[in-house]
Amino acid sequence: MAVCVLLLPVVCPAADSGSVHVTIQPPAGTFKMGDKPVFKGTVTNTGSNACQGLVVYLSLVSLKAGREHPVDLEDWSAQKAVRINRLAPGETNRQDWSMRLIGSGRFGIALTVVDSNENRPIVSNLVRFDVQQKATISSARILPVAAGEPLLLIVIFMLFQWRRRSRRA
Amino acid sequence: MSCVIPLIYKEFTEDFFSSRGAAVYLVGCGILSVFSLLLVSNTELSLLDNAQAVYMMGAIIIGLALLIAVILGSDGFAGERDRETLEIMLITPVRPVDIAMAKLAGIFFSWLIVFALSIPYLWAVGSTGQNLWPAFIYLFIAGSFLVLIFGGFMLGLSARMKTFKGALSIGLTLFLLSAGPIIIGPSLRQSTIGRFIDRLNPFGGALNMIDSVVVDSQNIFFQLPHLAVLILYTVAMFWFLYAMTRRVEL
Repeated sequence: MAVCVLLLPVVCPAADSGSVHVTIQPPAGTFKMGDKPVFKGTVTNTGSNACQGLVVYLSLVSLKAGREHPVDLEDWSAQKAVRINRLAPGETNRQDWSMRLIGSGRFGIALTVVDSNENRPIVSNLVRFDVQQKATISSARILPVAAGEPLLLIVIFMLFQWRRRSRRA
Repeated sequence: MSCVIPLIYKEFTEDFFSSRGAAVYLVGCGILSVFSLLLVSNTELSLLDNAQAVYMMGAIIIGLALLIAVILGSDGFAGERDRETLEIMLITPVRPVDIAMAKLAGIFFSWLIVFALSIPYLWAVGSTGQNLWPAFIYLFIAGSFLVLIFGGFMLGLSARMKTFKGALSIGLTLFLLSAGPIIIGPSLRQSTIGRFIDRLNPFGGALNMIDSVVVDSQNIFFQLPHLAVLILYTVAMFWFLYAMTRRVEL
């Protein structure tokens, strides 16, 4: 007698595809290099079942025309991912995402939530913001001075020593 | 007075034209170069605005100048005693007080050299920012007062100390005590005790003055309390130096 094994897919009681709602808000005002703005993130459970083990993380991209690329958050000292143990139905979890703006230009930031019971991560809207250039230190001025002045000093002292020896001779 | 000028010339040539003097200024330039390179290569430091970078550079320049002043001051009489040249100086018709003034002038010349060497560095870090000319002026004023205070005090001490090592160890301790509150950071200095110590500390007062001018763009009226402290310490230094060098023993 053949035993027919029917493999049924394991179906977890998944939340509705729209059961988690995520937003991110920028702080008010303009940004310039060196600032440390705090972006406000919210994750709301809009479904009827509690969500557990949600992972929330930030994504930052540079939107410079023609040179769009992801930004390494480690350089920007931004907070790493946050884990939400449990989110009851209707509950909202708020997070503060601070970062140091070490580059200028146009950027986009989004918050992503991964629910292990969902097939797709849930992503907030992309928030665009501009970071203004700030007058910082110019390496074109510093490098010649940093390298040249000690060398110049050595040459001057060697000339003095040579002249003194010539006079004694 | 006619005997003092050759003494001043002797101090200047010993401090600048000798190999030892050249090495000291070269090391000073090296330190400023390393800090300048850090400013452009380190991500955190490269974000400093020009005013902040000028302030930090100014603090290092003053620190270097004070170290040189402490070393030269300690060597003033105690070093001559170690080298057995003090007796030759004392049998000249020049009073010990005049010898002290000549040595103090030599210490001040060393500050002028350090300041001249630091001008290109300050220009390089601060030329596109704010308050560069006030930074030069107040750095020169603050540095001049501090070098006279520390150098003169060490000269007075070395007139009574038997060895250069003993004088130098006291001088370096005093320098660290003055620089200590600055190293521990601004947050601890905001406490009541911290502010009180800052008011009494001439080094802290000078740096607060440069910070207020360069970073906060405050005018001269805000600097008067700091300048008053520096002037008081300078007057006290001259009194101390005169008292210590009225009679110098071998």
